[in-house]
Amino acid sequence: MLRIVTCFKWVIDDADIRVDAESRKLNLARAGYKISSYDRNVIEEGVRIQEQHGGTLAAVTVAPPTAKPCLKDALSRGPDAAWFINDPSFADLDAHQTSEILAQTVRSQIEFDLIICGEGSGDLYSQQVGPALAEKLGIPCITWVNKLTFDEEQKQIIAHRKLEEGMEIVSCPLPALVVVLPDINSPRIPTLKQVLGAAKKPVHDVNMKTLGKVPEAHLRTDKILAAVMDRRRIRVAGDAEGIRSVVNSLIREGVIS
Amino acid sequence: MADDKFTAIIVGAGPAGSTAAMTLAREGCDVLLIEKGPTPGAKNMFGGRMYCHVLNRLIPEFWEQAPVERAVVSENITFLNEGRSASLSCRNEDWAKPPFHSFTLLRAEFDAWLAEKAEEAGAMLACNICVDDLLYDNGKVAGIRAGEDEMFADVVIAADGANSILAQKAGLAELFSASQVATGAKMVVELPPDTIDQRFQLSGNQGAAMLFVGDCTNGMQGGGFLYTNKSTVSLGLVINTACLQRSDRKMPDLVEDFRNGPHIAPLLEGGEVVEYSAHLVPEAGIRMTPQLFGDGILIAGDAAGLVLNLGFIVRGMDFAAASGEAAAMAVLEAKRSGDFSRSGLSIYRKLLEESFVLRDLEFYSKVPQFMENRRLYEKYPGLVTLVMSDLFTVDGRQPQRVLKKGLAAMKKSGVSLGGLAADCWKGAFSL
Amino acid sequence: MAGIWVFADNRNQVLELLSAGRSIADGLISHLAAFAADRQQAGEYIDCGADKVFLLPELPQDQPFESLVPVLADAARDENPDVILIGASSRGKEIGARLAAALNSGLCSGCIGFELDSAAKTLKMDRLIFGGAGVQTVVCTQSPQIATVPPKTFEPALPEQGRKGDIHELKAPPPSPVRVLDRVPRQRDSVDITEAKIVVCVGRGLEKKEDLDLVRSLAEALGAEIGCSRPVAEELQWLPEEVYLGISGKKVKPSLYVGVGVSGQVQHITGIRDSKVIMAINRDENAPIFDAADYGIVGDLYQVIPRLIEELKEALRA
Repeated sequence: MLRIVTCFKWVIDDADIRVDAESRKLNLARAGYKISSYDRNVIEEGVRIQEQHGGTLAAVTVAPPTAKPCLKDALSRGPDAAWFINDPSFADLDAHQTSEILAQTVRSQIEFDLIICGEGSGDLYSQQVGPALAEKLGIPCITWVNKLTFDEEQKQIIAHRKLEEGMEIVSCPLPALVVVLPDINSPRIPTLKQVLGAAKKPVHDVNMKTLGKVPEAHLRTDKILAAVMDRRRIRVAGDAEGIRSVVNSLIREGVIS
Repeated sequence: MADDKFTAIIVGAGPAGSTAAMTLAREGCDVLLIEKGPTPGAKNMFGGRMYCHVLNRLIPEFWEQAPVERAVVSENITFLNEGRSASLSCRNEDWAKPPFHSFTLLRAEFDAWLAEKAEEAGAMLACNICVDDLLYDNGKVAGIRAGEDEMFADVVIAADGANSILAQKAGLAELFSASQVATGAKMVVELPPDTIDQRFQLSGNQGAAMLFVGDCTNGMQGGGFLYTNKSTVSLGLVINTACLQRSDRKMPDLVEDFRNGPHIAPLLEGGEVVEYSAHLVPEAGIRMTPQLFGDGILIAGDAAGLVLNLGFIVRGMDFAAASGEAAAMAVLEAKRSGDFSRSGLSIYRKLLEESFVLRDLEFYSKVPQFMENRRLYEKYPGLVTLVMSDLFTVDGRQPQRVLKKGLAAMKKSGVSLGGLAADCWKGAFSL
Repeated sequence: MAGIWVFADNRNQVLELLSAGRSIADGLISHLAAFAADRQQAGEYIDCGADKVFLLPELPQDQPFESLVPVLADAARDENPDVILIGASSRGKEIGARLAAALNSGLCSGCIGFELDSAAKTLKMDRLIFGGAGVQTVVCTQSPQIATVPPKTFEPALPEQGRKGDIHELKAPPPSPVRVLDRVPRQRDSVDITEAKIVVCVGRGLEKKEDLDLVRSLAEALGAEIGCSRPVAEELQWLPEEVYLGISGKKVKPSLYVGVGVSGQVQHITGIRDSKVIMAINRDENAPIFDAADYGIVGDLYQVIPRLIEELKEALRA
């Protein structure tokens, strides 16, 4: 039986981020949260493979306890069960800590054949947790996959990797970890019945008592500032006069000739 | 479970919907509460402030758990005309003591909390789901369709807000005309709580509520508002939509001008705008309420036009909550009698008439028409501020009797004694 | 001091990292090492500043490039480099993440700049977060300090005659269970948009694919290459992916960028922020792109573009 594990992260909706241009501070206080958009593709891929080949599908996340609403959201997208690995100290983990916590939990509690991760999280976008998790679990890793098939007979996956130089098509026996790209699929919007069904699915709550010590961070954040764009912001109407003035400015600046 | 029938499917997890869901769930009914936004409250907006009397009854001492902002102690209505303003203020310390008179609040947090109370009572909540249509069985509403899913219930309660699609689909309401609604737009400005305390003369968790008439709406029917929250101030305008459409001023510009005007700017100095929002507000009172119920369907809250605007008092949330409760009671009664048809649900109207909801809307039925009087916005703010500033002016000139000053001001403002008398008469008998 | 290492899966990035690595090696008084595919490449790297070059073993045809990770990890355990800079190509990102895990260290991914603290012997590295809205400065608390670096972050190192360096051969890695079945090279477009001096970028404001002709005439009038925002390439597929600009697409530094019907989401702006002059045409005066632009024309692109082409022809004739 194919046991699929999908990893997702509950991230700040970056549309809600406010910037104080003078102090360059990012204000996250009024921001809402959502499942990272890359991870929606992850869960959808897990669902797709389960629809074709059967088996079990779990959704796993490492988060502070306040992220609880993410479970209903994730479960409404198709997984059979969720793993909520949570502790108040999990608000600002680095990729090493996240992958370490995932590795410890998977090793001790979650049986799997295939782990699917996203290309990066919508907030920090370190793009590390997938490959790091594979390395820590000692399983093979296939990254930047935009097409994934499971060969039931050979018990292996065939993956199309999208790289700068072209496509690399690889095979790999299970157990393995795959990092998928957003263009692998189009996540379906949960229906009413799926949303209602989510409330009934099991959630495994994993906390520090099970895990022991929180791994130390390997990256220390010294500061976070808003990225500023110092542009002139000259605005004109779309009439002949306005356009002419812009064209003249561009010629003056020497960017067109 | 998904194939079972619910007692009630409630569309819209705002104050009306959540209250209905909570009341029914408390009585052990199977209730489904559906919200189109990602969370309850995400798509809701008001000035604003909620009068406590209804929620106090439903959830005693709700303020101890609910995310409320400030308890309003200071009420103010201000007339604005050019560089002048004249205010009527009132303060009552009792209003900020239990059981509290009213609270300012932020809808995203508050509505989410209220929906959670419904869930705690046993209601099922589904967010991010848009209800596309009603389902019928032999001409009677039997459920809803959302995407491809069909869910069935004995009753559907349409609590889907000021532009209720479901009320229209059920043939109970027509699309509101632009003159029956107002456009409300607001900005939320961040200020340190101490600053708010100082500028509005508040202490502890006290709050201030202010309404403005005159320049802020450029003479159009409507007014401005300001409510103090814990660490933000809600500032905005409500303008009759038909008037707004005829004018060439745009809402965002009007709100911006209001904020930057001499009367508001010092109050909000140094504050940063953290949020903009806009929404439709039902304005026409009892005359615009649709049929409130039909076979297998009830309409509650803004969807039923249950909003009272007296100019100096604006009430939406208490009406919504009370109508939600009444809807729930009507469903329970229909369940007892086994009759979910129009006649079985007719007790809904009766309950609303017996409560303040329809009673107050009836009582103030002449107000919407009175509010259409343009002199209220074009002339009287000028008159009031002229008279007041004249009253306080000392410039060494020949003194005049107060009455004469008044008449001179009227002349200056283009107000006739007859017109003023008629308006006062009408006002006295409608408000 | 045990070495500043640079690694990339393509020669251009190695040269860029060699110049970055050289400044670190000088600051920490350490040697600079690179990884080369063959002796000739090794020679070039030495000319460009490497004190030492590791020769990567040749891999069997059916092995992916990433199977080198165990060899790199072993070498790192033997030599204890202080810093490893890896070119952030797709392969580089995987290699960097796996290497950091294997060495139990930390990785700053997408490093767009750094500051060397010679006293503390640490790198303060900058990277973008929240789709490009924020800049995070991190320090690796472990050794080696590892970073993946996007292409064109640094200028390539220049060769100097007479430089000397050592060459070491690395042994072959154990076979990876991941086997390459096929490689399909990408059709190389004749134009590399990252080299263009002027870019006209199409956004969702364009109503239909046929309207690209209008944009093409503008590009012609300007002598520009055509790019687009991510949705136009990925969802609408009106233009190839090679020309979408943004945080996960191409990053360009033209003299002039002209956004046509581009709303200006922060993810897109990240790809164009280093342009010398940014100009935007959009009919929504509240579009975020106007805050990121030097010149903004508020108007319907279907009317503005023909006028703009006229004005350009007039002005450039003079």
